[in-house]
Amino acid sequence: MSQNKNKQDNHASAASDTTVALGKGLDIGTANLAAAVQNSEGGITVTVERNAFLDIPSDVYSKNMLTKLKVPYVVHNGKLVVLGEAAFELANVFGRETRRPMSDGLISPNETDAMQMIRLIISKVLGEPRKPGEHCYFCVPAPSIDVDNNVVYHQGLFESMLGKMGYTARAINEAHAVIFSELADNDFTGIGLSFGGGMVNACVAYKSIPCLSFSVARGGDWIDKNVANVLGVPRSKATFIKERGIDIRDPKNREEEAVAIYYRSLINYVLQNIKARFENGKNMPSFQQPIDIACAGGTSLIGGFIEVFRDEFAKIDFPIPIGRIFRAEEALTAVAKGCLVAAAIGE
Amino acid sequence: MESVTRIKQALAERSRTASIDDLRTEGRRQVRIVRTEHVVAMIAEAVQAAVENSGMLTQQQVDELLRQTRSEFQEVLKRRSDAANEAEELRSELLQREDALRQLRAEVLSLRQALDQTQQDLDQARSELNAPRADEDTFAQDVAPEPDFGEIVEPRTPAPAAPAAPRAQQPAQPQAAPAQPAAAGQPDFSAALEKLAGTLNDRLEQIGRKMGISSAVEADSVNLEGLFRDDGKQVESNIDSVETKQKSGGGIAANLERLKKLKGG
Repeated sequence: MSQNKNKQDNHASAASDTTVALGKGLDIGTANLAAAVQNSEGGITVTVERNAFLDIPSDVYSKNMLTKLKVPYVVHNGKLVVLGEAAFELANVFGRETRRPMSDGLISPNETDAMQMIRLIISKVLGEPRKPGEHCYFCVPAPSIDVDNNVVYHQGLFESMLGKMGYTARAINEAHAVIFSELADNDFTGIGLSFGGGMVNACVAYKSIPCLSFSVARGGDWIDKNVANVLGVPRSKATFIKERGIDIRDPKNREEEAVAIYYRSLINYVLQNIKARFENGKNMPSFQQPIDIACAGGTSLIGGFIEVFRDEFAKIDFPIPIGRIFRAEEALTAVAKGCLVAAAIGE
Repeated sequence: MESVTRIKQALAERSRTASIDDLRTEGRRQVRIVRTEHVVAMIAEAVQAAVENSGMLTQQQVDELLRQTRSEFQEVLKRRSDAANEAEELRSELLQREDALRQLRAEVLSLRQALDQTQQDLDQARSELNAPRADEDTFAQDVAPEPDFGEIVEPRTPAPAAPAAPRAQQPAQPQAAPAQPAAAGQPDFSAALEKLAGTLNDRLEQIGRKMGISSAVEADSVNLEGLFRDDGKQVESNIDSVETKQKSGGGIAANLERLKKLKGG
C-alpha cells in the first residue's frame, strides 16, 4: 500500500506520536534511498526516493511548470536541479541521462554536486530527528573483491552528514542488514544478499554475528550499462526496459533477452565468488544444518529473479548446505528495515 | 483485648495509607493529622464516660481498665509499625538488587559486543591473510564465464602469503632478512612480501589496540562535519511542499524480540 503525504504532515504526525519507538534506518543505495521508521500501528513506514538528479535551465516558466506538476527542485549554481524519481522520468522524456550522486555503491568522486544533492534527497526521505541524537543506522557496502575501493571516506562522510542533521549515526553492512530483516526466524543465521544498483553485497552470519562479508562491483547499473552497449540505447532507456515488468525466465524480444543474459551472468558471478571465498577462507564456520539465502535489493525485483537464482545455484557445487532460497517480500525496503532493527536495538 | 481488636479494625476500615505525592496528586495541599495518642485518649475518655455513666464499675476499676486498654493498644501499634518498617527495608533492598542486576546485564551486553567486534576484526585480518590485495595493478579473478558480448576481466594474480609476526610478542621488530637475489627469469616477490607484512602488522596493531595490548594511542576519527558547514544561505526550492511517497511494511517487533534473546537481554 502506498500513500502520498506532505513532508510537513510527516513531521507533525511524527511529533504527535510520542509513543512510537525511536530509531531510523537509512538505506543509502546507488539507485534508491530509503528511510524506515516504526509507526504507531506497529508496522513500519518506508520513504523511498530515487537517488538521482537532473539540471535544467532556470527560468520563471520552468519553475512555475515544475511547481504546478509538483516536481521537487532546488536552485543550484543558477540552474534548476530536479531531484529524485522526477529526474529519472524527465531524463527519459528528454532522452538524457540523469546525474547520480553515487557510483558503484559509493559516493561518486566524479560528480561535483554529489554531496549537496544527496544531502537534500536524504533530508527529504529521512526528515528531522524526533529527538536530538536519535539513532540512525545507515548501510555501507563491504570492500569489493574485484575492484580497489575504500569505504572509509564514504562511511565517514555519511556519519558526518547525518550527525550534522542531529542524528547519532552508525554504519552497518548492507547485507548484514538484510539478515537482520529477513532471517529472524533462523536466529539471524544464513546468507544475506543485497542486489543493489552499484554493487551486490554478501554476508554470511551466524546468530547475527557476520563471519564473512564482501561485495562485488556489479549490480543493476552493470546490467544497464551492458544492455545499453548491446542495444545501442542510453542507459536510462536500458533501466526503463528492465523495470517495466519483464520476466527473465521468458524474455519476449531482443531487449528482454539481453537483460536476461546479464542477470544470469550477475547471479552466477555472485554465487561463484561466495563459493570461492568460503573454500579459500580459513576459520569459516561449518554449518551442520542447511542455512537459508535471503535476497533483497531493487535489482532483485525483476520477474523470475528467484527462479533464475535457483537455476544458477543448482549448477554449482556449493560448499555449505543450503535450505531455502527466497527473496524478501519487500525487497526494495528490506535493507532499510534491517537498518531500523539495528537502530531500534541501539536505542 | 477483643475491644482493642475492634478498635483496630474500626481504624483500619476508616483509614488508608497514602504517600505525600499521592495526596498532592489528589489536589490536597493540607491534611489534618491525628496522633495515635490522641486517638487512644479519645477512646479512653469515651470508655470512661460510658462506664461512669453506667454506674456498673467503681472509679478504681475504671482506671485499671483504661490502663490495660491503653497498654494493649500501644503494643498493637508498635507491632504494626515494626512490620511496616521491615517491609520498607525489604522493598528498598529489592530495588537496589534490581538496579545492580540491570547494571550487570548492561555490562555483559557491552562486553559481548566488544568481543563480537574483536572477533570480526580477527576474521577480517585472517581473510586478508588468505586473500591479500596488493596495490599494484591487478584485476579480479573472473570465476564466472562471461557472455559472448560482455566485458572481459583479466584474472587477478594473487600475491603469495607471508607468515605474520605479531608486534605484541616481539618488542623489537627484527630486521627483515635481505631478499634473495631473484633468479634469472623469476619474478621478485620481495616488495610484495614487505608490503603484505606491513599490512598485516597494521591490522594486528589495530587488533592489539582494541584488546588493550598496544602502546599506540588511537587517534580520534576524522570528523567531516566541516564539509557541511552551513553558509547561512537559504536554498531556493520547493522540496518542503512536494509530497513524498511512503510505503507501509511489516513490523519489526518479532525481529527485535529474537535479537534481544540472542544477546541475552
